[in-house]
Amino acid sequence: MLFKGKVALITGGSRGIGRAITLRLASEGADVIINYFRKRDTAELTAQEARQKSVKAHIIKADVGDEEKINRMFSEIERTFGRLDILVNNAASGVARSALDLDTRGWDWTMNINARAFLLCAQKAVPLMKDGGKMVSITSLGSRFVLPSYAAIGVSKAALETVTRYLAVELAPKGICVNAVAASAVETEAINVLSGGQGLPPAWCRTPVGRMVEPEDIANAVIFLCSEEAFMIRGQVITVDGGASLVQTAPDKPC
Amino acid sequence: MSIEETIRKTVLKIVRKEEFDFTPATTFKDLGADSLDIVQILVALEDKFDIEIPDDDLKGLANMGDMIAYVERKVAEKG
Repeated sequence: MLFKGKVALITGGSRGIGRAITLRLASEGADVIINYFRKRDTAELTAQEARQKSVKAHIIKADVGDEEKINRMFSEIERTFGRLDILVNNAASGVARSALDLDTRGWDWTMNINARAFLLCAQKAVPLMKDGGKMVSITSLGSRFVLPSYAAIGVSKAALETVTRYLAVELAPKGICVNAVAASAVETEAINVLSGGQGLPPAWCRTPVGRMVEPEDIANAVIFLCSEEAFMIRGQVITVDGGASLVQTAPDKPC
Repeated sequence: MSIEETIRKTVLKIVRKEEFDFTPATTFKDLGADSLDIVQILVALEDKFDIEIPDDDLKGLANMGDMIAYVERKVAEKG
């Protein structure tokens, strides 16, 4: 058990990649705080699964794009647990449009949830990480590559990675390790939403490994970065893509 | 403020049409609401009334009259 007695907050921790991370942390003995946006039933189901691993699981509804909701979430964490050891900044959203079709509302919505939330959560988490801690943000290859209708999200993920680097340096003296995991296309329901039900171009679905990246692959990387074995890795973006970003292929029909 | 009035103000603020002639027959389409507007409206109503509005329930709400009746029922159920 890597994290017995530790307390972990996973934003967007009830489904998809967040759910896989929540359950892996619980398997390693961490008490988990599952932040969710709107679907309480889904959050409660994930919490029940986590509790079967003999840990505490607590759900908190909060729109992490809203500073006041973040403040309330951390007040609840302080009241309930009094500490925090692991922060996984996983919650993500975004307006799927081309750059020229983006408006300021879509831009702000995406940036606030995907990039600003990590900064604000980290600021609130630091005082609760009394014995040091780990922070991991979940980013995507869209920060480096151009994907269809991914302009706002791609930019927000680039900002998230930069926030990760600044926090890594500023928090190192406090015993807090900060890193990011970059995923390629991951088999979750978010893919359908992002692609408007069309699926992603095959280039982003196929990897040299021969299968798509799965939520558990991302969770494995997060677990490693939260472990003491990763102590000297700071401010890095670890890519989990089955080698997809190493091969150059032109997108064609949806898969 | 009544539930209807709260919904009217909340919806019109989010779609940025505070002078719109809002009636029970008004639809999201009439308001020019895009998917981001609709998510923000649902989140705002959930917060204001401390209720949950599952996405599946939204499919049965054809207009603002349906939305008002739905929220009134949810609030009443909550007690």
